[in-house]
Amino acid sequence: MTNIKPVTLEINGRQETIAAPNNMTLLEALRELNHFEVKCGCEKGDCGACAVLIDGEAVDSCLMFAHSAVGQPVTTLDGLARNGDDQHPLKKAFVEKGAIQCGYCIPGMMIAAQSMLNKNPNPSKQEMREGLGGNLCRCTGYNKIFDAIEAAASELCGGGKG
Amino acid sequence: MDMPNKKYPLPRTEEKHLHQVGKPLVRTDARGKSEGKTRYAGDYVMPNMLHAIVLRAPMASATLKRIDASRARALPGVACILTGDDTSAHDAATDLPGQTGRQRLNTDNQILVRTRVRYHGEPLALIAAETRAIAEKARAMIEFELEPLEGVYDPEEALKPGAPIVQSHDNIVGSHKIRKGDIEKAFKDADHIVEKTYRTQFIEHAFLEPEVGMAWVDENDVVNIRVSTQVIEHFRTIAEAIGVAHNRVRILGALVGGGFGGKEDITVEVYLALLALATQRPVKMVYTREDSWFGHGKRHPFVIKYRTGVTSEGKITGSKIDIVADAGAYVFLSPYVLLYCALASPGPYRVDNLQVDSVAVATNNMFTSAFRGFGACQAAIAHEQQMDELANTIGMDRVEFRRKNYLKKGEPIATGFCVESEVWTEQCVDQAMEALGDKSPARGPLRIGQGVAAYQQSYGRLTMMHDTSECWVGIEMDGTVVVRSGVTDIGAGQGSALCQIAGELLGVPLERTVIYNSDSAVTPLAGTSTASRALYMTGMACKTAASALRERMIKRAAKELGVQIHHVDLANSKAFVVGRTEEFITLKELVGHCARDGIHRSELAQFNAPFTDPIDPETGQGRVHPDYVYGAQAIEVAVDTDTGEVTVLKSVAAHDIGQCINRAAVEGQIEGGTAMGIGYALSEELIYKQGQLMTPSFSEYLIPTAEDTPLEHTSIILESRSGLGPFGAKGIGEPALTPVAPAVANAIADAIGARVLDFPVTPEKILKALEASTAVTT
Amino acid sequence: MLHEFEFEKPQSLQDVLTLIANNEKETAEDSGHVLLAGGSNIIPAFRANQGSPEVVVDLGGIDELRYIDVGDGRARIGGRTTVSDILDHPDMPTLAPALHQCCKIFAGQMVRNVATIAGNIGCGSPAADSVPPLLALDAEVVLVSKDGERSVALDEYFTGYKQTVRQAHELISEISWPLPAANAASLFRKVGRRKGDAITVVGVAVHFEQENGVCNSLRIALGAVGPTVYRAKRAEALLRGNAVSAELIDEVAQAAAADSAPIDDVRASGDYRKQVIGTVTRRLLRQAAGLDAEGGANHD
Repeated sequence: MTNIKPVTLEINGRQETIAAPNNMTLLEALRELNHFEVKCGCEKGDCGACAVLIDGEAVDSCLMFAHSAVGQPVTTLDGLARNGDDQHPLKKAFVEKGAIQCGYCIPGMMIAAQSMLNKNPNPSKQEMREGLGGNLCRCTGYNKIFDAIEAAASELCGGGKG
Repeated sequence: MDMPNKKYPLPRTEEKHLHQVGKPLVRTDARGKSEGKTRYAGDYVMPNMLHAIVLRAPMASATLKRIDASRARALPGVACILTGDDTSAHDAATDLPGQTGRQRLNTDNQILVRTRVRYHGEPLALIAAETRAIAEKARAMIEFELEPLEGVYDPEEALKPGAPIVQSHDNIVGSHKIRKGDIEKAFKDADHIVEKTYRTQFIEHAFLEPEVGMAWVDENDVVNIRVSTQVIEHFRTIAEAIGVAHNRVRILGALVGGGFGGKEDITVEVYLALLALATQRPVKMVYTREDSWFGHGKRHPFVIKYRTGVTSEGKITGSKIDIVADAGAYVFLSPYVLLYCALASPGPYRVDNLQVDSVAVATNNMFTSAFRGFGACQAAIAHEQQMDELANTIGMDRVEFRRKNYLKKGEPIATGFCVESEVWTEQCVDQAMEALGDKSPARGPLRIGQGVAAYQQSYGRLTMMHDTSECWVGIEMDGTVVVRSGVTDIGAGQGSALCQIAGELLGVPLERTVIYNSDSAVTPLAGTSTASRALYMTGMACKTAASALRERMIKRAAKELGVQIHHVDLANSKAFVVGRTEEFITLKELVGHCARDGIHRSELAQFNAPFTDPIDPETGQGRVHPDYVYGAQAIEVAVDTDTGEVTVLKSVAAHDIGQCINRAAVEGQIEGGTAMGIGYALSEELIYKQGQLMTPSFSEYLIPTAEDTPLEHTSIILESRSGLGPFGAKGIGEPALTPVAPAVANAIADAIGARVLDFPVTPEKILKALEASTAVTT
Repeated sequence: MLHEFEFEKPQSLQDVLTLIANNEKETAEDSGHVLLAGGSNIIPAFRANQGSPEVVVDLGGIDELRYIDVGDGRARIGGRTTVSDILDHPDMPTLAPALHQCCKIFAGQMVRNVATIAGNIGCGSPAADSVPPLLALDAEVVLVSKDGERSVALDEYFTGYKQTVRQAHELISEISWPLPAANAASLFRKVGRRKGDAITVVGVAVHFEQENGVCNSLRIALGAVGPTVYRAKRAEALLRGNAVSAELIDEVAQAAAADSAPIDDVRASGDYRKQVIGTVTRRLLRQAAGLDAEGGANHD
């Protein structure tokens, strides 16, 4: 087979190598590397389930080639972590606010939320709607997801606006 | 006029204080999902695994003249290709998933096309290869010849003599009648007769996780299938489809990334099983989103015509209702969806003179099957709009008109069955409308409208199916609790609810309970997660099992504490004397005593729903379901008269769900159902032209995003404790959706002074309706 | 995806221009070197077997083209500037109000973070949301190649459905526009089938200036209602240079609608689009002229 070069990606702070054909997307590469926390929903950039952070900004990993991600820090849900037993505030808030039903949209949803919080630590409800407009959820109606982000924002940086 | 009665009857079931049931506890599945640790069916790999995909017919109606996979089979890395010739030995059953209480109807389907293609996307071949990329290359190398066959794409056309035949001898795959009272007299007694026809559209489940599974044959020749499914009991029909014994198929149900009825039928299981048997290697099949549009049955479009008589004082005298459903290319669950629609069609109202004629018709559109609400949803879209039309015709307020007609507890529904649980429709409508509040002010091009919709939605499966459910509850030596149940958790917290029930009865906090579920080999079979039945049926089985175990434990604790049995309670992992909480033993100690005495520390229980015979085919009278949920939704919208765009400003849901088990889970279902209903009313539509799907992506099939949900939403949860489920629970899975779309439609009609009769109510149709109504009045 | 290709990720603009210098034809549909910016158009296209390039040239390393500059009365954005870059820039609401409004509702967050304005223009789609605001702002596009650079008015950039003047060996290096006058109204309205992340059914952008009750500058750009985004020039001419009145605004809006020929598709009919061109243009002009306080543009 032509066009298969090994590439090394930086994922959650670790170097991971994969024999990636040029046409392999970052999503495919991540799941080949056993990052099952990255979900596949549509492979067209319509649903947001595959979102990961590249240098702190959310992108759809299905809309990126693996080779394009070389040299850029990729963060998946596993990379949103705290030391010890404590959960990352976003994860804790999603759990406590009952924001998780089937859970399939959740990794992408949390990545989009973190990306939004990275730029805007105290988003309003309307800003949350705009920030999550590219993450489809069929179960929850989004309400408790907004509640969770509000609670997490509060904990991550103190204060929060409605 | 009666003032709405805000005092509700006292709970009828046990009045003891509930420790955990009813609280918004953190669900048992939440943490794993939040960490991304939870594995869905597509998150497993096995050594030596093959990747499998499906070749689909690119047209809706055709004869397969030939198919030749020889070039494809020769491609290095291809392990197996199966076509219709390879799968002709058996068909796959589609009637009534996962039940044993009733003889199955023969509506079996070909597994792969043999000679006739009936819908766009019907599977022609299965390809298994070392990698997905090789499988895709091979698929492109399969040669086939399809000769177009005249098809039929509209159910009303399909009923005409001379129409192409898709199923049966006349395309009719189901029909139901209801005959009650004297319809002719009802029309004579009416002061007004309102005739309107309502149309609903094809809808897609749009679960975020496309269909997926993996199969392997083990050392005992058991075909193991890990799959995202709502029904692990499919092992029986899978076994028959592949020609093995029932006890040699094992279904490991994964946590499901959304079902809504779309994973109620068999999806990838038979394909995987056949490939695993043929290759003797593990085989994994992951549907792309493109597959998923063609991979499971859709929501039935309905045409529902009402002719309703009403007096000037506001009493409905009678209703003649004609219903036509598009069953698509194969029967699947159409006869039952039709029955639900027929039964629900008059709405939660007292209609003694009723004539319903309903028919489900096959066409060459995509096949239609189960979807949240199951026909009653479509009926609600029709009956609630009809109620507003009737009210407007006689010049009466829409809520007051409903008040004059509500079905009350103990009165007969459309099929003559008298509901024995509480029927709090009136309270739900009143509370929802009150919470909706005054209309927001209009501004610029925006017109504001408010609407309400009430409903009756069954919970539990058809009683003629003789439904049962099993659950096992046990307590470990350290006082932790284990629940074992076949129940599939499709995201509503089905598993966690059982833990909460067991924990309530055994006095163990939720964090010290665990559930092992969804394995047809080792977990007692609970039946499907469909029909809003999991909490009712499996919850009752769990409660029965936990209660039996509790009784034994209390008896032994009483002996230890030296008091009578009725003085002992279990809570916080202790057995204690009521009123003297310092007198206790820990559950761990208690279980130790039980173990030493040989007392059984677990219990397996089966719960049976009410069993009936099928209803009378001439009159449609009889009991159809165990019970019904009643409630309402009130919606306020802003309609932009420049563009027809609709914004949902406010939403209030009010449901009597009997008893919450997990309050946050109930709210979550209501909020999710609200979003789904808004999509149903405004933006969702699968468009088929000559059977070809024109909307095969999430950028063309538009479900509500975070920017489309109501700006404000309130859930009012009423608890009559009168349901047949545990602690008086009813159900919420489907009821959460049923009243939403009609409430939105009613609000829009209120805003623009005209009604769009065809769903979805798009901006374009709104502008047309506005134009038409301006033309009439100027 | 089935199609295989070579992959290059050059680190400088000159390297890109060298790579594409010999392109004879190039779109996602043809072979040759295909430029990859955000990927939100071409990667789904490749998956759907549309396009079989020999080489994909990833522009992700060309940081020199990622800028937003203001000076000499113009605003300039580089060919790698993303939709999010526009939103993150604190002055964009005044430098290009309509463009800022469009970026706020452009697709979803993840796509905004990677999609470039140049790519949005470059795909040539009449539904590209950034084009009506830029057209209304009288923007210009700079095309560079190994041979040098040339400036094209955005108004002359599109020659047909998904066809542009850009040749296969050229790349959009910059988009610029004159800074709006302090009293200019620059408004954008997108009409879609849902609020979040939807393909545009009708897009209208308006740039309006008046002095002493006379309109002295007017540009109306319409998207998703023709084979390209275009300016409703006959309609503009009815008001430009004349006294502003509600009646004249109605005429302008009617002319914009009458001159349109939108098609039917799964999202809407041509008749609906025509009607909405009229109502939305009227509403935006009324808001721009100060006749209505609000009610026209997205995110009032």
